[in-house]
Amino acid sequence: MPIATEFEYFAPASVRETVGLLSKFKDKARLLAGGTDLIVQLKEDVSKPQALVDIKRIAPLGGIKVQGKFLRLGALATFTELIESTVIKSKYPILWEAARTVASPGVRNRATVAGNICSAVPSLDSAPALLVYEAVVVIEGPKGSRQIPFASFITGPRRTVLAKDELVTAILLPQPGKHCGAYVKLGRYAGEDLAQAGVAVLADAKGAIRAAFCALAPAPLRSAKIEALLSCKKCDAAVMAQACALLERELAPISDIRSSKEYRLHMAGVMLERGLKAACSRLKGEGPDYGKHLI
Amino acid sequence: MNELKVVGHSSERVDSLEKITGAANYVDDLNFGPELLYAYLVESPCAHAEIRKINTAKAERVPGVVKVLTGKDFPLSFGLYMQDRYVLAQDRVRFVGEQVAAVVARDPKIAKRAAALVEVTYKELPPVLNQMDALKKDAPLLHPGLKAYKHVPWFFPKGDTNIAHWRKTRKGDTEKGFKQADFVFEDVYTVPRYAHCAIEVHGAVGLYDASGRLTVWTASQSPYTQRNVFAEALSPLGISHKDVRVITPYVGGGFGGKAGVSMEILGAAFATKFKGKPVKVMWNRAQEFYNTYQRQGVEAHLKVGMKRDGRITAVEHLLYWDAGAYVEYGANVVNAVGLSATGPYKVDNIKIDSLCIYTNLPPGGPYRGFGYSEFCFGMESHLTRIAKKLRMDPIEIRLKNAIKGGDTLAYGAHMNPNGLSKAIEEVSKEIGWGKKEQSSDPDKVIGKSFACFWKAPAMPPNASSSAFIKFNEDASLNIMVSGMEIGQGLLTSMAQIASEILTVPVSKIRVETPDTDRNPYEWQTVGSHVTWGCGNAVKKAAIDCREQILDLVHRTLHLERESLYLEDEAVKSRTKPGWELPLKNFVIPGIQAEDFTFKGGPIMGRGVFMPEFTSAISDPETSQGGHPNVHYTTGASGLTLEIDRRTGRMKVLKVVLAADVGKAINPDLIRGQVVGGMLQGLATVLYEDMRFDAKGRMLNPNFTDYKIPTVMDAPVETKTIIIEVPQPDGPYGARGVGEHTMIPAAPLIANAIEDALGVRITSMPITAEKVVAALKKEGKL
Repeated sequence: MPIATEFEYFAPASVRETVGLLSKFKDKARLLAGGTDLIVQLKEDVSKPQALVDIKRIAPLGGIKVQGKFLRLGALATFTELIESTVIKSKYPILWEAARTVASPGVRNRATVAGNICSAVPSLDSAPALLVYEAVVVIEGPKGSRQIPFASFITGPRRTVLAKDELVTAILLPQPGKHCGAYVKLGRYAGEDLAQAGVAVLADAKGAIRAAFCALAPAPLRSAKIEALLSCKKCDAAVMAQACALLERELAPISDIRSSKEYRLHMAGVMLERGLKAACSRLKGEGPDYGKHLI
Repeated sequence: MNELKVVGHSSERVDSLEKITGAANYVDDLNFGPELLYAYLVESPCAHAEIRKINTAKAERVPGVVKVLTGKDFPLSFGLYMQDRYVLAQDRVRFVGEQVAAVVARDPKIAKRAAALVEVTYKELPPVLNQMDALKKDAPLLHPGLKAYKHVPWFFPKGDTNIAHWRKTRKGDTEKGFKQADFVFEDVYTVPRYAHCAIEVHGAVGLYDASGRLTVWTASQSPYTQRNVFAEALSPLGISHKDVRVITPYVGGGFGGKAGVSMEILGAAFATKFKGKPVKVMWNRAQEFYNTYQRQGVEAHLKVGMKRDGRITAVEHLLYWDAGAYVEYGANVVNAVGLSATGPYKVDNIKIDSLCIYTNLPPGGPYRGFGYSEFCFGMESHLTRIAKKLRMDPIEIRLKNAIKGGDTLAYGAHMNPNGLSKAIEEVSKEIGWGKKEQSSDPDKVIGKSFACFWKAPAMPPNASSSAFIKFNEDASLNIMVSGMEIGQGLLTSMAQIASEILTVPVSKIRVETPDTDRNPYEWQTVGSHVTWGCGNAVKKAAIDCREQILDLVHRTLHLERESLYLEDEAVKSRTKPGWELPLKNFVIPGIQAEDFTFKGGPIMGRGVFMPEFTSAISDPETSQGGHPNVHYTTGASGLTLEIDRRTGRMKVLKVVLAADVGKAINPDLIRGQVVGGMLQGLATVLYEDMRFDAKGRMLNPNFTDYKIPTVMDAPVETKTIIIEVPQPDGPYGARGVGEHTMIPAAPLIANAIEDALGVRITSMPITAEKVVAALKKEGKL
């Protein structure tokens, strides 16, 4: 389908120049990095921008590298780069596991993690992992740079804290301690699919548990109550029953064309249990390899 | 018969290199030069409305727009079996997405922009979005003019209702049959709509030249039927059959969706307005879903009576089809099912009612299986359920009732020879029937299932095939047929049949996709009939060549006619060992006689095949008296399913399908059909789920939310069993198998779920979510 919308195309060389363009065009501008969402929206006339700001030539926005106490994912880092990164695989295995479930290889070759979080869809696969790793989002705007926790970056379905003249330049991941975990995703089949539910579980060596969810509420969320219930306990049937009851209060799934809220909630319980089991056995050096489907 | 050297062997596909390297051309790959015009459609946002006004002024003013076309430009109806469809909507729209107007421009972007400026004023009418609602007394009439529509003589529309066709079949006395039964079981099965999802979307490019010649390039299974429908629909413009030429390059998947004429009429009709300039219409993926054909939904009420020994005493099958806004092709699906909805069983007392019902959803139409998958879901679920109630083996029940050659069919004609019983027995062995399997994972259970299938091609009684074969100087061959290569390997099997007779190797034979000016007539490539029909025509054409060759050698070289035969690209004689005359020496230049003159000339053969024993005319109240179907292909299948009882997620561990193909012309191609067809069938039951909103708009015309399987979803093992009970009128005994490989998939899944979990699901699709819901309802989760 042809792109019928006429727009001005910019390829700024710096973040500063980009912010200038965003300040000028405000919500009439769209940023182009991977373009895997944007191009489809342009073809379908869902998005009709006046300016397309292509940030792919801004070299400092690329790469995955250690920056102080953080691992820095540049705004141009693609899911494929993430999956091929040995640091991600060894230090942030839950994010690695989640990245492999995003779309298909062709899309992952172009789609960026930063673009993914900016879409702010409830089914954001990268979100549960970024939440349990307590990621920080670096934002640039006319007034300079600011950093906010990823947990408060998304404010609702397709809404973020970004102002119209701001862009995400990087995602920072704090160094985690020894841990294992799992990302469990519900799709309609084994092929690429949007998450109908996603659960990330992180278990550290002391038995503390972190748990985060996507596609089960208007925005991805991490649940302190679930974590408190599950931390430092043997997760037997009684505890899991309590957890399932708690999930009903903590989560707010919807029914849509992809799934019913009842099935989503039911699966959230099964996925949490299987994620926990995998995380705990991986801690002991047992359990399934990362990347293996747990449901 | 001598041992076959080519037929029955798995020759490599003649088109494999072209396709693997990406060299094969499809309609969208063809280059039409700088004069090419592009059409973009204005579509109805309403499921049912009157068109009050169309204002095209703003769109016409856009630079680059050549013309805006509306229904007024084409006061034409068309249709294959019933003329109820329009090039562009006339005074009324009947589904969301129906074509109302078209902007034709020099650039696709301009056409799209201008289309947004066409203003259409609608008066909304109440839509009918369900076939059961369409039958209500106060339901709005979708086609008030139904009574006057032209249609084939075997359709029975009910004027002033929404029933476009009602096929009634009556045999014996079902009341008596149910009285004889020890057990009578009734239930309702529902099957939703489905989409073909061919990877190549529909497209058509039309060119009307200065001489009045209309050439249309299409992605099609039916070039000749298209030529006929184009010529008939456009005859008011002074166009006749001789003027119309259809060229069909490779097709990226058909599955029935590219049979007949749907959007291609636009390419043909639009071209007539722009003499000398080609006009291109390509569908996008969304249009591919909502404005070609969809597989029709059905609500099937099934009642079966059975004796305690497993004999079926009576079948009543009442099928309500959601046929959509236009039924010009879909009504024949309804018709086919109305003749065959017993499944492959000998039943003495039969009552089938198959109703084709208009609704304000996209037009229904042909889809691989042609209605048989839909009724098979109910019938094969039902038999397994009855077996359980009678504490009988479901395979034993099927064996007991399996139809045999010579048995009387529902409409009174006799069944063709078949190997159904053998298929049942072989599948039973291969799937390990009776052996329970257990998963090592405590959350997983394993179920086994069984289902039979049958299907006949649904064709007009005079559907014919023809072929030309031309020899070249080097004794290579060009075969011209209009059977379409739609992935099944037709070009290869036709080459094999000619090769067998003429002893020219397949590598020296070129068979290409048709151009109706060059290639002779073929009705359509549908109904799994081309290997049989077109194969017969090619075989006859090859025999025609051979006879010309042997006659020529006999009359010029005075060799005994009966002693002559072909071998290794040469004529040989049984009475003159060591003598041979290579074909390449004479098939073009002829043979030089003793007086130095030349005899013969280019060898070219023709073959025509028409099933002369068929007739579609029968008693409309009983369907007795005709012979509508040429033959049925039968078979059996079994499946092993692993189910996670906590998530409902399923994995097919093994599926076995045995089909009686009569003769496997190319066994590898049949295995390909089984792997692909079974996966397509499993997709309709496990994943595909078409949804509409309360206003009739399709919610998932995309692969984001309409899921077709990937290789990761394929069964762990797919096993093909080829049964060969020859079809007496088939080439080397062959009959069709293309569609059959998906027909039993849905009941296989439903039966396996019941075997493993004890819950029965009677509506498709059967998703993981539905399994969990069923378990929760039964208190099992």
